Amino acid sequence: MDPKLTEVTQLFARFKAAYSRNDLDVCANLLSQLKVLLTKFPSLPPSFQQTPNAVEELKLARDIYEHAVVLSVKMEDQDAFERDFCQLKPYYMDTCGIIPPSPEEYPILGLNLLRLLVQNRIAEFHTELELLPAKALDNLCIKHAVELEQSFMEGAYNRVLSARQAVPHETYVYFMDLLAKTVRDEIAGCSEKGYDYLSISDAKEMFMFSSDQELQQYITEEHPEWDVKNGSVFFQKAKESQPCKEIPAAPVINQTLGYARELERIV
Amino acid sequence: MAAVATVSSASGILAMLQEPAEELKLHALASLNSLVHLFYPEISTSIPTIESLYEDEEFDQRQLAALVVSKVFYYLGELNDSLSYALGAGPLFDVSEDSDYAHALLAKALDEYASFKIRASKATEGEETVDPRLETIVERMLEKCILDGKYQQAMGMAVECRRLDKLEEAIVQCDNIHGALSYCINLSHQYVSHREYRCEVLRRLVKIYQTLPHPDYLSICQCLMFLGEPETVANILDTLLSGSKDDALLAYQIAFDLVENENQAFLLNVRNRLDSQTPGQSNPDNASVLSDNQTGNDGTTSTEAAGDVQMGDDTTTASGNAHTVDPKEVEHADRLAKIKAILSGEKSIQLTLQFLYSHNRSDLLILKTIKQAVEMRNSVCHSATICSNAIMHAGTTVDTFLRENLEWLSRATNWAKFSATAGLGVIHRGHLQQGRALMAPYLPQSGAVGGGSPYSEGGALYALGLIHANHGEGIKQFLRESLRNTSAEVIQHGACLGLGLASLGTADEEVYEDIKNVLYTDSAVAGEAAGIGMGLLMVGTASEKASEMLTYAHDTQHEKIIRGLSLGIALTVYGREEEADTLIEQMTRDQDPILRYGGMYALALAYRGTANNKAIHQLLHFAVSDVSDDVRRTAVMSLGFVLYNEPEQTPRIVSLLSESYNPHVRYGAALAVGISCAGTGLSDAISLLEPLTSDVVDFVRQGALIAMAMVMIQTNESFDSRVGAFRRQLEKIILDKHEDTMSKMGAILASGILDAGGRNVTIKLLSRNKHDKLTAVIGLAVFSQFWYWYPLLYFISLAFSPTAIVGLNSDLKVPKFEFLSHAKPSLFEYPKPTTQQTTTSAVKLPTAILSTYAKAKSRAKKDAESKANQEKAMDSESKVNQEKTTEDTSGSTSGKASKTQEKDADAMQVDATTEKKAPEPEPTFQILANPARVVPAQEKFIKFIEGSRYVPVKPAPSGFILLRDTQPTEAEELVLTDAPATVAASTGNTAAATGQQGSGSSAMAVDDEPQPPQPFEYTS
Repeated sequence: MDPKLTEVTQLFARFKAAYSRNDLDVCANLLSQLKVLLTKFPSLPPSFQQTPNAVEELKLARDIYEHAVVLSVKMEDQDAFERDFCQLKPYYMDTCGIIPPSPEEYPILGLNLLRLLVQNRIAEFHTELELLPAKALDNLCIKHAVELEQSFMEGAYNRVLSARQAVPHETYVYFMDLLAKTVRDEIAGCSEKGYDYLSISDAKEMFMFSSDQELQQYITEEHPEWDVKNGSVFFQKAKESQPCKEIPAAPVINQTLGYARELERIV
Repeated sequence: MAAVATVSSASGILAMLQEPAEELKLHALASLNSLVHLFYPEISTSIPTIESLYEDEEFDQRQLAALVVSKVFYYLGELNDSLSYALGAGPLFDVSEDSDYAHALLAKALDEYASFKIRASKATEGEETVDPRLETIVERMLEKCILDGKYQQAMGMAVECRRLDKLEEAIVQCDNIHGALSYCINLSHQYVSHREYRCEVLRRLVKIYQTLPHPDYLSICQCLMFLGEPETVANILDTLLSGSKDDALLAYQIAFDLVENENQAFLLNVRNRLDSQTPGQSNPDNASVLSDNQTGNDGTTSTEAAGDVQMGDDTTTASGNAHTVDPKEVEHADRLAKIKAILSGEKSIQLTLQFLYSHNRSDLLILKTIKQAVEMRNSVCHSATICSNAIMHAGTTVDTFLRENLEWLSRATNWAKFSATAGLGVIHRGHLQQGRALMAPYLPQSGAVGGGSPYSEGGALYALGLIHANHGEGIKQFLRESLRNTSAEVIQHGACLGLGLASLGTADEEVYEDIKNVLYTDSAVAGEAAGIGMGLLMVGTASEKASEMLTYAHDTQHEKIIRGLSLGIALTVYGREEEADTLIEQMTRDQDPILRYGGMYALALAYRGTANNKAIHQLLHFAVSDVSDDVRRTAVMSLGFVLYNEPEQTPRIVSLLSESYNPHVRYGAALAVGISCAGTGLSDAISLLEPLTSDVVDFVRQGALIAMAMVMIQTNESFDSRVGAFRRQLEKIILDKHEDTMSKMGAILASGILDAGGRNVTIKLLSRNKHDKLTAVIGLAVFSQFWYWYPLLYFISLAFSPTAIVGLNSDLKVPKFEFLSHAKPSLFEYPKPTTQQTTTSAVKLPTAILSTYAKAKSRAKKDAESKANQEKAMDSESKVNQEKTTEDTSGSTSGKASKTQEKDADAMQVDATTEKKAPEPEPTFQILANPARVVPAQEKFIKFIEGSRYVPVKPAPSGFILLRDTQPTEAEELVLTDAPATVAASTGNTAAATGQQGSGSSAMAVDDEPQPPQPFEYTS
């Protein structure tokens, strides 16, 4: 066996051990070493050289990146998640026919969809979705994310929040928690547009907080521009609404006539 | 498993860029660098990230980041950004990479660098400094080209980027230095538009030339001439003259080549310097020492110092050596005398005259037809016919037609008489020794009040100028006196023109004062000529006299004077390019349309033959926007002057203008094509002119006919069938009673131009070395003024140059020598002579019976004079064919008549006994004998026969060629030149020598000389 491959395999074994021990710092450390080592393999994307060890190397690399994605969820690091997922993705998309599909593929793809939903990047969510084959939609993990998105779009926020109980994979919990906040932001955005003010009790119900305190904290953290007085929350609708821009009719007409005149002159 | 995987997205790699570990970033950059051509759209969104990597001082692969960014920008089409990052990439940017990216960026870098350099040369020093990284890239590229042996590429880039040091490096390292140098000279003339810089390049080239062990003196001297350094040329010539016989031959060849460029002032300068060096050189003991000196040092100043020392010695030794006749000294003196004769132009003029005289093939029947067709009372057509005759016989000294038709000629009165007399000058052009004697009957008689009319006297002075054009040392004094002694404005007119022509470009102060005095008399007729004369005198000097002339042009009321002056001003800036811009600006902005019109000429002449984009742009602008038709016409016509070095371009550029609604613009377009494509027979040009020859406006037809003749000159029907059609069209116009006078005049002139100089000259504006021929360009410029003043028509004779190969031995004599023309003879032969029924001249039945029939017929129709002419023609032809048979020298008419038919291929078979080599109706080659007519299109077929006795010094296919004799011990066989050598002074006033005309052709070579025209009396 190739010595490099052996080295990586051994290191990866130590990483898995640390991972099962939930020793996240050691994991992160080992992981970055692993990634550097991986760059030495010529068979990995983007070069995809056909070496005798290609299949093993690809499998190993995919495994490492899958663990890296999950690790980033555990460490609650969204940037790292995105990075690792992007690097993992070529193994899913471009290696068909070289290595067998991974069992972790759909859960991780679903996780990514969920992340996009949490970050409110709906356009990218749909782009990713389109890239998936039709039969992938039947997968539980993907289906979960798709349903969430539908509820989210319909405004059935309660369904979104209740879906937390029915996660298909334990790693999803982290994102489901974050999703609640995303939903709340959405509601806040709508309320701002829809109402001049709301009574605190209404607002509490609307934002799905259990106590006034939580509401108060949310407002000071996220929307310090809102006023809370006389038992009501005042939105700053008036401030935001900008005067409608006037259509510059006269200049446009003038310019068009000018062009017409010039055209006539040229001939 | 065999499926080859490819990456579908760069997002993975981009994500890797965000990793904290350096190695990963590096790996990502390397991957991106190789994939950028596939994923640049994706990568473009991450450019800020990569840029920040590049700007990160700590990051050790900043250059790789820069390279990636540069590539992305390249694919996005942002070449400027791309280049600036590629510069940041330093050595990683691989100049030898064979990719679109590398090619595009290198081109961009070169452009950028070149424009920097150009700006830097214009701006004051230190204002802008070139990015050193850019410089490094360009240098790396140049070095690579030199290493790869792509020397021409390297030279081109070096010239473009103004890196003369690199240019020198490339040339020196090149395996074929001579080839490289001549390539560079070519390059600098064709592509370096900035005059000063071109001089710099040439200076550098000369420097390189001089370091070579075997310098190519021919090319050096050409460069030096352009640079205007007569003393260096004189030194080189002097060295060569004191060398071996071959060196002397080379010196002669150089001198001939210099003469061809017609730069009178320069040639005089060289000659005078040779003079001043003679005392030193005549001392045989020191000559070799001195020549060693000269080859040793680099040329210019130190040799003069040496010369001075020699002079000091000489004063003491010369007297002692005087009586001992040293053969070496005699030889040197002899050589010096010869080279001075060449430099003065006399030798080449004399040889040209001999050639044109002996090879004259003009067709008097054409003139006769014209004469008969033209109404006597129509003076325009009458003088056009006289002019046409003059052009047809330009430089041949054959004035048979005039002498035959004295009665008819005498109908020319007033200015027509002026023109007619001037026409004699054209016919006798270059007849330097006898010029004055020939014109004597018409010249103003000093003291005595001759009965001559002022018109013929003025015309005679103008004629003298034409005879001595650009070689007027001998006649200048006489012309000045004539100018001073007269107050008749017609004579002043002639004298001013004559003086201007004779002292062309010499900038002689005294002559200038004389002409200026005439100008200040404020007489319209004399003033116009004075303006032109001043311009001729000051051609190409860009002297401040121009502003003086401009001021007077503003002061005077006479349009004629303004016009003369504005043309004169234009002449002064001849060839000065950017230097002339201020003056051009001043003239083109003037309120007076005549001055703007002069401005057009100034543009044309300052940028003559440069195809300068700015000038073309300006001219086109004026051609469509000026309010005055005169200015527009001239602007279009001027395009012809600017573009004559690239004749293929002109028809394309003026094609739209030739369809303009404005007849003046169409006229200008026709002449522009005529001027720039003159003598080329270019198919595009003919196609453009063809519709214009049947334009609805008469003067457009006139211009188109003249232009067409200029284009088709020396092209025969078998080369382009449209020539025949054109000849028939001319005939039709001339014979048509209802044709407008203007177009008739055009047709008459066109017939003259088509057969100019006895069918042995062409219009050439560029010499063989691609230098502009000053006299020719000036000639055409003034010629184009005939729109206002018909006598100026005769200026076209300045543009004629003989199409001949003349081989010369070391005695500057013409030895027997043969060479090969590797093409069908019919392609380049003379047009067939017209027959009596000219309208059906095209049909000739190919039978032997016709041949005899034609003989009889031609015998019957010939009168005594035309017979004599044909004898001459025949005689020359017999020399061409190298016939040794003597039967035809008997002078029997029938024998000669049969020989006139030799050109007819079928008749040839009948008369095959006289032809040594005519086995096939159409051989694929032709042996030509020295001196021979070689038309420009034929030049590429000329080959010198190997193993013949004489070897050319320079293998040029035309002009004067010095021949090295490989068997110097054997007696040389010279070609007898039946030249118009001397004219007895007494014959001037005697009656026409009728007896001489009939004298036997065998003796013709020795004593048959053309007679001066009989002084015809005007019945006024």
